[in-house]
Amino acid sequence: AGVLAAHKITASSPDTDLPTVSGLRKMGLNFTVSNKDTVKSSDVLFLAVKPPIIPFILEEVGPDIEARHIVVSCAAGVTISSIEKKLSTFCPTPKVIRCMTNTPVIVREGATVYATGTHADVEDGKLVEQLMASVGFCTEVEEDLIDAVTGLSGSGPAYAFTALDALADGGVKMGLPRRLAVRLGAQALLGAAKMLLESEQHPGQLKDNVCSPGGATIHALHFLESGGFRSLLINAVEASCIRTRELQHLADQEKISPAAIKKTLLDKVKLESPSLSVASASKVSLFTNKSPSS
Amino acid sequence: GKVPAGSILASAPSNKNLDAWRESGCRTTHCNLEVLQESTLVFLATKPHVLPGVLQEIRPAVGPHHIIVSVAAGVTLQTLQRLLPAGTKVLRLMPNLPCVVQAGAMVFARGSGAGDGEAALLKNLLSSCGLCEEVPESYINIHTGLSGSGVAYVYLFAEALAEGAVKMGMPGSLASRIAAQTLLGAAKMMLESGEHPAKLRGDVCTPGGTTIHALHQLEKGALRATVMNAVEAATNRACDMAKD
Repeated sequence: AGVLAAHKITASSPDTDLPTVSGLRKMGLNFTVSNKDTVKSSDVLFLAVKPPIIPFILEEVGPDIEARHIVVSCAAGVTISSIEKKLSTFCPTPKVIRCMTNTPVIVREGATVYATGTHADVEDGKLVEQLMASVGFCTEVEEDLIDAVTGLSGSGPAYAFTALDALADGGVKMGLPRRLAVRLGAQALLGAAKMLLESEQHPGQLKDNVCSPGGATIHALHFLESGGFRSLLINAVEASCIRTRELQHLADQEKISPAAIKKTLLDKVKLESPSLSVASASKVSLFTNKSPSS
Repeated sequence: GKVPAGSILASAPSNKNLDAWRESGCRTTHCNLEVLQESTLVFLATKPHVLPGVLQEIRPAVGPHHIIVSVAAGVTLQTLQRLLPAGTKVLRLMPNLPCVVQAGAMVFARGSGAGDGEAALLKNLLSSCGLCEEVPESYINIHTGLSGSGVAYVYLFAEALAEGAVKMGMPGSLASRIAAQTLLGAAKMMLESGEHPAKLRGDVCTPGGTTIHALHQLEKGALRATVMNAVEAATNRACDMAKD
């Protein structure tokens, strides 16, 4: 997103046939199939693999991790302490940063939070913040809030897509062509979100501003309230947050040997088609940062 | 306290209700016409079905100097004006119960014969009983649904709050007093700060704390929609009754 020159970024993936790979190549990134090579030539390492694969990656690149490296994990539910524990067998003071982002980073409107590990400095955090701020909003949080962030903005786009689908249905029911309905619905949410972000006012006040007495909007809102709209959204955020904690807990308790998981998972990974987003790419993408951009 | 008691004359067919007036120092009578003769500002506070009869009775004594204020629910300005001499200054007032403790919410609408002076006089006088605002007549039924009946909704809510506390182990009478004070305090903050209630609500909710947990329960129960339904039902009923 313009913060870092493409040639300073290296991406690594074992499988070169994936669309992600050609996409990255086209942007001018360096590409390799060797995770080890990537580590050697980089300062900041983004681990963008699925959570169960994190242990292997750490095993694999661990020996090459040096004090200068900043390891950034975007894996849901994988704690800083678990990564530090794994790496400390190789490096005494590994710098670890954990982040949680969301899919709209693709359009540079992501919502990202990060938490810094024991040995990560303030500057390390700021560097990650600068990188992620280029694709949206980014701020630091305490690690124990990351589950809540997952529930809200991690899963949030899915709630929005569901809402937009339904709004479009409403539009179609009342006579609009589908395409137009989708376009207008999305723009309405985009505009509302923008108004809220740019305003000092409480969303309740902004809502009131739209509701003229006895008018169309207040009638519609009454329906939303009757359906328990607000509580459904609260429930959703809560459920996503709780599930994240459950998965993390399950992962922590995992006693199966990495080797055993590795085979089944890698086979599975090859069948999946990854998306371009940082959060769900199924290959290791590692970014170099030879000299921090100013 | 705006008008000396001695300047107030109350009329009723029997003494049943007049004792209270006399105790306050007001003069009393059984003759409606006497009120019209002695007073400029006249409040008609009969039950709605009795009012037309009273209007017929006092009509001959009503003059251009009189200001007639009706408190009868559902009796429109149109009806009042029809039963009184043309051009009479008529206003219609809808108070609510807490006027008795000077914390009322009142709205009034003026008829075609009433001017700014009369409206200002009424507002000034009644402000000593609480909030008093002039509105278009169409808002009066809404006021009924919101605040006239609304007082009962609050009592219901207070009762439920107290019951929750009793369930959790607090004695009932203490719970009741605390419930009432909570409502009073919250209302006072809302009136004095002028802030949006949603903002005030947010200010009480510490992340992951007790309040947000409780609010979630309220949202699950669709409390907001239920309350909207209540206001709507009462308003509609007021409209229907006015037509009768």
